[in-house]
Amino acid sequence: MSTRAPSLIAPAGTDPAPALTRATQPRYRASNAAVPYAFLAPAILLFVAFLAAPIFYSLYLSFRAAKVKGLGLGSGSRTEQWVGMENYVRSVADPEFLASVGRVALYGLIVVPTMLGLALLFALLLDSGRTRVGGFSRTAIFLPYAVPAVVASLLWGFLYLPRVSPVVDVLGLVGVSAPNVMSSQLIMFAVANIAVWGGTGFNMIVLYTALKSIPSDIYEAARLDGASDVQIALRIKIPIVVPSMIMTFVFSLIATLQVFAEPMTLRPLSNTISTTWTPLMKVYRDAFVRNDVYSAAATSVLIALATFVLSFGFLKLVGSRAFNQEK
Amino acid sequence: MRSKTAAKALATVAAAMLLATGCSGSSTEASGSGGSDEPVKLTYWTWTPNMDQVVAKWNEQNPDVQVTVNKQDGGDAAVTKLLTAIKAGSGAPDIMQAEYQAVPTLVAADALADISEELDGDVADKFPESAWEAVTLGSDAVYGVPQDSGPMMFFYRADLFEQYGIEVPTTWDEYAEAARKIKAADPSKFLGTFSAADPGWFTGLSQQVGASWWGVDGDTWQVDVDSEATKKVASYWGGLVEEGVIDNTPMYTPEWNAALNDGTQVAWLGAVWGPGVLEGNAESTKGKWKVAPLPNWDAATPANGNWGGSATSVTSQSKHPEAATEFITWLNTDPEAVKLLAGTANVYPAATDARANALTEPPAFFADQPDFYDIAAEAAEAANPFTYGPNVNVAYSAYKDAFGKAAEAKSAAEFPKAVEAVQETTVEDMQNSGFNVEG
Amino acid sequence: MTTTSITAPPPAPVDGVSRATHRDSSPGKPRRSNAAVTILLLLGAAYCLLPVLWVLIASTKSAAELFSTFTFAPSTHLFQNVADLSAYRDGLYWRWMLNTALYAGVGALLSTLVSAMAGFALAKYTFPGKSAVFNMLLAGVLVPGVILAIPQYLLLAKLDMTNTYWAVLLPSIISPYGIYLSRIFAAAAVPDDVLEAARVDGARDGRIFARIVLPMMQAGLVTIFLFQFVAIWNNFMLPYIMLGDDRLFPVTVGLHGLLNQGASQPAMYTTVVTGALLSILPLVALFLCLQRYWQVDLAAGAVKS
Repeated sequence: MSTRAPSLIAPAGTDPAPALTRATQPRYRASNAAVPYAFLAPAILLFVAFLAAPIFYSLYLSFRAAKVKGLGLGSGSRTEQWVGMENYVRSVADPEFLASVGRVALYGLIVVPTMLGLALLFALLLDSGRTRVGGFSRTAIFLPYAVPAVVASLLWGFLYLPRVSPVVDVLGLVGVSAPNVMSSQLIMFAVANIAVWGGTGFNMIVLYTALKSIPSDIYEAARLDGASDVQIALRIKIPIVVPSMIMTFVFSLIATLQVFAEPMTLRPLSNTISTTWTPLMKVYRDAFVRNDVYSAAATSVLIALATFVLSFGFLKLVGSRAFNQEK
Repeated sequence: MRSKTAAKALATVAAAMLLATGCSGSSTEASGSGGSDEPVKLTYWTWTPNMDQVVAKWNEQNPDVQVTVNKQDGGDAAVTKLLTAIKAGSGAPDIMQAEYQAVPTLVAADALADISEELDGDVADKFPESAWEAVTLGSDAVYGVPQDSGPMMFFYRADLFEQYGIEVPTTWDEYAEAARKIKAADPSKFLGTFSAADPGWFTGLSQQVGASWWGVDGDTWQVDVDSEATKKVASYWGGLVEEGVIDNTPMYTPEWNAALNDGTQVAWLGAVWGPGVLEGNAESTKGKWKVAPLPNWDAATPANGNWGGSATSVTSQSKHPEAATEFITWLNTDPEAVKLLAGTANVYPAATDARANALTEPPAFFADQPDFYDIAAEAAEAANPFTYGPNVNVAYSAYKDAFGKAAEAKSAAEFPKAVEAVQETTVEDMQNSGFNVEG
Repeated sequence: MTTTSITAPPPAPVDGVSRATHRDSSPGKPRRSNAAVTILLLLGAAYCLLPVLWVLIASTKSAAELFSTFTFAPSTHLFQNVADLSAYRDGLYWRWMLNTALYAGVGALLSTLVSAMAGFALAKYTFPGKSAVFNMLLAGVLVPGVILAIPQYLLLAKLDMTNTYWAVLLPSIISPYGIYLSRIFAAAAVPDDVLEAARVDGARDGRIFARIVLPMMQAGLVTIFLFQFVAIWNNFMLPYIMLGDDRLFPVTVGLHGLLNQGASQPAMYTTVVTGALLSILPLVALFLCLQRYWQVDLAAGAVKS
């Protein structure tokens, strides 16, 4: 993608492994020119069959629509035909769709910084070594990753609803009336909380792994110079994990744009989540409730394009070469 | 140590893999039939609980036609699943449970077989006219046999009604008064809730006033969601919600279950299948509930609506429409089968006489109300006609969005506006698809 | 064959990945505990465990208690609930669990192998079209699975493969994330010298991959396996749309059906909650077993320049 030297992400003097630099320029040669293709063959075959073909099929469908004649009853009254950009035009012009895009933008602004901030905080705390509960906490915080999003949303749904929530009960005991998190003002936070709960542990492990790969003699030197733990964290550790932060950011961004399971599961529990609350929920509604796979295809093409522009645009902006390591 | 745990995990996976090769054989044999001496095999998608036990009876008596139940979930997506299979040209079952409101959609997609040729002539007479209308769509074709119907009924906590000194409301005016009275007696309690998540409930209430959201005039669809009848119902509920005497949270949530248990919801506008729902969600209140007819707009001319109800249909992909028709006829008209449907699968069968014979005892949850099924039969009798269109799903999801907003805003003015929004979305969708439509 | 090569004993530690494990096992000089650190971590742990605690307690309640007693008051009906769940349609639930183990377990295993091969080729060979292939594979990340389900169904229907185990298994094998991670792990964990040395000894590419590369990438491959295991486990739409026969359902689709029985039936909350708990347990156990391998160095390959 970019060939610029990523000055942002490789602070001088901290290059931990000079030996690794050659990884970017493989010297190893195949015994036969066909070998790399042979290794790639299964991936490419499966990719073509189960991702590329359906994607192109979706693309094809997005320019088509089912049209009926008269009452539309009886066989043969329904035909599929080309409609050009009609599905796209309707998608973009739909105020509900635009509202859902705005909602996801706000949702992303809440989820991504909160989740990555917490993940970084916990990773730094674990890496500080100044606690005896490290192993337990790491496991506990990571545990939600093993809970499927649908199940997680079901559990949180129980905890949110005022009449069944223990949180409300407990607050009630101390005389505080808890706000209804399923109300229209707070529902965004209710959904965001489930995503933060499920995603913090995974990102924490990513960052923790990055922190652990830093040789400890760097800290020892800083500590001898009188630097405090906080100073070490801010001046040395955080800059070193910036590349990992960038990648977790991109993956979180993609997941944010595709938010679906959480609001979908919470929707029947309140009046505040519409059937088109997020762009992907609109895709689901069109495809699975309205049986209009054509509009759904058009909207998903738009979502995929937006994801592409945002994630690759961001990587370009920060000059990361993560997605393309070759010179 | 490290490789030991890894090895253990991989051994588990390998075991699962062996299992895969062991199990995969069974999936292919499930459909299709062999030579002439082999029994005909039929697959049946249904979400009715315990349907496999009803079907077992058929399989026992009919060794040459074996039916396999594949239980599906009752959501919208089950219809999509069938439609996708129809579009793909394979993968559909032979027999499908179809809610009445989905029948036009499925017929429009050519998913259901016309079984008028295979069906015995006297089957139609066993069902009330409204139920038969739902599977013929007013034409000469027959797209299924009615399975169950859902006349609406009023369930209430007799103990709490007595405690607050409230009479069972027979009109909607009395219902509103009762709601106010309960609210005044205990501000935490509600006589009921307006559920923006249950369009079938709202159409049932509109049906009672004489609304019919769709209609056919020659070769043109009429969309009439925003009729005076529907708006009257919407305004009524909007007023009660704004006043705060009726709750505005959806039914079928954990919260609603809790409210049924602790008496926060003092009554429920349900349908004949209500006892099963109450028993499953609020078992602790057994013996405290009673049932009454739905309140009426005009006590002199009682009317009713339906919430739920479904038919059993043969799909257009079935290779054995005759055997399938024979089975669905048995399932929904044979006295023994209907008895099983009512007793084991807990549905309210649509076949009038067979039902009367099957339902002699009140449901267990209403054991001390011996006239339960008499009230139900009257309710079924009083149901107004209602026609569904080919895009009910569109109208229903529009209902959820529009009324969700109105209920959340607790504003009476928003309710009739929500009706208009549903009308607009429904008409626009039909126009986009190319239907001849007026509305 | 796969199994033996992946479980081959780990080789002597080599750079990036091994250093991480090195620091893990000996965290340097013991340091004084700090109360603030401990409290913050425990708060985080409590937040993450709260819903899990809820499901544990809820699964001990009877249907009547679930909605009528205080949420965190445990009851005694766990065994009854498990028995009810097991009795549901002659133990169909356990068949769903086995199906899930099959889809997620075998799917993730095959996915890991395919990703490892592709990642290794992309990291260690130079060949025409390399960037194009990599970017193409990676673009798959951008497409949400919800919309792929229907086209996938329509395409598989042409092969007459819908409503079979294959319909869910095959599409689950390809994982753009897995290939991306695998490329990073291969670049970081497999030094060129080792490969060259093996080559000089006369080993062929396939053998080098099976005997040297796979063991060296072991930690990374476990990560990819878990990653894909969770992804398949979470992919609801694919099995939902592909499968009509409820004996082929994974546990998520099966439980979803118990929760959505239509308006005329009560949702089987108690059964679903118990089922959800039991379905998470093996997943949690798997994670705890393999936790020490779980290290995602998303940027390892990207930084070093």
